[in-house]
Amino acid sequence: MTVDGPVPEPGTAPLPGKPDAGSAPVVPAPAKLPAPETHDGEWLRVHPASPFVRGWVALAAIGFFFGRDFFERMLQGRPILEDGFAGRIPWLLAGGGTVLLVAVLGFILTWYFTRYQVAGGYVRVNTGFIFRQQRQARLDRVQAIDIVQPLLARIFGLAELKFEVADAGESAVRLAYLRMDDARQLRATILARAAGVVRDPERPEEAAPEAPEFPVLSVPPSRLVGSLLLSEQSFFVVLGGIASAILSAVTENRGFYFYLIPAALGLAASYWGSFNKGYNFTAAISPDGIRLRYGLLDTQAQTLPPGRIQALRVAQPPLWRIFGWYRIQVNVAGYGAAGSNGETASRTTLLPVGKLSDVMSMLSLVLPDPGTAEPGRVFTAGLAGLDSDGGFVTTPRRARLLAPLGWRRNGYTATSTALLIRSGRWWRQLVVLPHQRTQSMALHQGPLARRFGVADLVLHTTAGPVSPRLIQAGVDEARTLFDEQAARARLARKRQTSEQWLAQVAPAPVVPAPVVPVPVAGHETGASTVAEPEMPAGPQQQEGQQHG
Amino acid sequence: MHTEAIDPPGISWQRVSPKYVTVRLVQWALGNLITVLVLCLPLVLVLLGWWRWPPLWLAILVPAAALVLAVWRLVLIPRQVRAIGYAERDDDLLIRGGIFFQRTMVVPYGRMQYVDIGVGPVERGLGLCTLKLHTASPGTNALIPGLPAAEGARLREQLSARGEARLAGL
Repeated sequence: MTVDGPVPEPGTAPLPGKPDAGSAPVVPAPAKLPAPETHDGEWLRVHPASPFVRGWVALAAIGFFFGRDFFERMLQGRPILEDGFAGRIPWLLAGGGTVLLVAVLGFILTWYFTRYQVAGGYVRVNTGFIFRQQRQARLDRVQAIDIVQPLLARIFGLAELKFEVADAGESAVRLAYLRMDDARQLRATILARAAGVVRDPERPEEAAPEAPEFPVLSVPPSRLVGSLLLSEQSFFVVLGGIASAILSAVTENRGFYFYLIPAALGLAASYWGSFNKGYNFTAAISPDGIRLRYGLLDTQAQTLPPGRIQALRVAQPPLWRIFGWYRIQVNVAGYGAAGSNGETASRTTLLPVGKLSDVMSMLSLVLPDPGTAEPGRVFTAGLAGLDSDGGFVTTPRRARLLAPLGWRRNGYTATSTALLIRSGRWWRQLVVLPHQRTQSMALHQGPLARRFGVADLVLHTTAGPVSPRLIQAGVDEARTLFDEQAARARLARKRQTSEQWLAQVAPAPVVPAPVVPVPVAGHETGASTVAEPEMPAGPQQQEGQQHG
Repeated sequence: MHTEAIDPPGISWQRVSPKYVTVRLVQWALGNLITVLVLCLPLVLVLLGWWRWPPLWLAILVPAAALVLAVWRLVLIPRQVRAIGYAERDDDLLIRGGIFFQRTMVVPYGRMQYVDIGVGPVERGLGLCTLKLHTASPGTNALIPGLPAAEGARLREQLSARGEARLAGL
C-alpha cells in the first residue's frame, strides 16, 4: 500500500505542492494511451546515426568475423579463395549479407520506434516495436540531468542525455544520441520547465534559453596526477611492491616479479580510468544548479539542480594532507549507490581533488545558506579541527579508550540548515547533511559502548557513497541530538514547499491544501491529540481501541 | 549487566504480541538445530571410526560450542521480544529493539514511501503480521514484527493517512 497519492493521468497538470518524489515517478504505461491533450511539444526522434554509433560494436564484430579470414589469407600470400571453396562463396556472402541486413534493419526499426516528447510537465519516451514501452517522468521530479559523450559519439558530434529521477536503479530517460546542440537545448527546456519558469504566453513555441553559468573552479591535470599518485591505492601498491621485493630477495625466487605483471596491468587500467574520468574537471554554477564537466576521451556534463544533494562528504586521505587536498562525494537520489561500474563513482564525485578554497566554494554552492554566522570557522574546524573548536561536540573523555586517536575529533555540530559530522584523525572526514534531507534516524548502542556511556547515531539518506554515522557520542548528547534532529528535520521539511526551485523563491500558491484537523480521542500511547487527516472509516479506529 | 535504555525518556512504548516468541522459536529451531546437527556429523563419523582426522576432543568441542551458543540465543528470545516496541508520536514513528545491541529508530511520517505487511506461515497460524516501513533510504530498516493482524491493519491505515497529510519530498 502506497502512502503517496496516485500518479496523475497524462495531460493533467502536475500538482506542484505534492512532492512525493522517490516513490514511482516513472510510470511505464500500457501501450495504448489516449494522446495527451496539451501538445506544446511534438514527438521527436533521436539522431538517425545513433543506432550505428550505439551498435558499432556489433557491426565491427560481424565485419571482424567475415573479414579476418580474408585478411589472414592476404597476409600469408595464399590465394584468397581455395579451389573447393569457390563454389560456396555466394552462400557465404548471402549469409553474411543477411546477418548484416537483419542487424541494420533492427537498428533502423529501433530508431524509428523510439520517440520522445517534452510536454505538460512530463517527458515521455516510447520505445520498442514488438514489446512497446511508454514511459513518462515528471519534470519537477528531476534529480539530475547528464549529457554524456562517449568517444565515438563525440567524433560524430552526438551526445546522450540522461534524466534521473529518484529511482536510483536506471536512468528514467536515456536519449542516445542527439546532436550536441539539441541535447543542450533539450536540457535547457527540461530544466526550465522543472524549475517552474513561466513561458511567454505570446510565444509558446520559443525554446527556453539556456541558463547562464559562472565557472567556479577547475582541477589542473597536474593536481589530478598528483592526487592519483598519493591516493590510498598508491600507498598499497608501494606496500605490495616492497613486500614482493623482500619476498623474492629472501626466497631468492624471481617468480614473484612475474606475478606482478598482471597486477601492474590492472593498476595501470585503474589509474587510466581515474585519469580519463577526472581530466579537465570544471564546476560551474547556474540558476539551474551545479554544472560539472569532466573527461578526457569520454566527456560528461552533469547538472545537479538546487537541493538535490542529499548528503555530502569531504574526505582527506593521509597523504593528501601534504598538499592540503580534499575530495568531495555526494549522495544524489538519481545516481544510486556506487555499484560495480566506475560510472556511478565518478558521477557521485563533486570534486575529485581540490584545495581548501575549492572545498569551501563547493560547500557554498551546495549549502547556499550555511545557517551559521561564521561558516568559515565552523567548516574549517570540521575539516581539520580537534576538540570543541567550531562548536563541535566530541566523544566524551571517558570513552577515549574506545577511540584513542579519534576521540578528540569524532563529533558533530548543527547549524540551522545542516548537521555536520566529522571523524577520523588520519582519514579525515566531514559529512554535511541538510536538515530537510534526513529520511530517518536510529540510535545504536552495543554492550561495549554502553560500558563507556556512548552511542552511535545513524542518519539514513538515499543510496550513495556517503553513509552518515555519528560515532561514539555521549549518550545524553546523542539522545538530545536525536530529539533535536527530528524536530529540525520536521521544521525544515515544512519550510520546503515545492520541488520547483524557482517557484520556491516566489510566494507561489503551492502550499498544500490545509488539512482539516479532526480531533481524536487520545490513544493509549499517551500521544496528545493528533491532528488527524480524514481517517478512512470508523471501524479502524475501533480496532485501534481494541488492540492499541 | 544493568542495561539502561537509550531511547528518549517519557515515551510509553507499545509492545508486540507475546505470541511472537513462538515465531522466533521456530526460526531459532530451523537455524540453530540444523547447524548443531550438521556440526555433529563429524563426531558421529569419528565415533564410528570412519574418519580419522578430527581428534575426538575437537569433534566434541565444536558442536558443543554451537549448542551452548544456540541455548544462549534461545534463552534471550523472550527478552528480545519484550524489548521490541513502537510508539506513534505526532510527527514520527519510533521503533526500538534489542537489549544488548540496542537500536531506537525514528521514521517521520512524511518520509514514508510505502508500508508493507508481510505474513509468514507461522505468523499466519498465530494471527500475527510484520509491518515494514520504507523511506527513500535503503538504510531505513524499520520492521515491526509480531503485530496482531488487526493492529497491523490499523497501524498501516493510520500510517498511510498520516503520511498522506505530511507528505514531503526527498
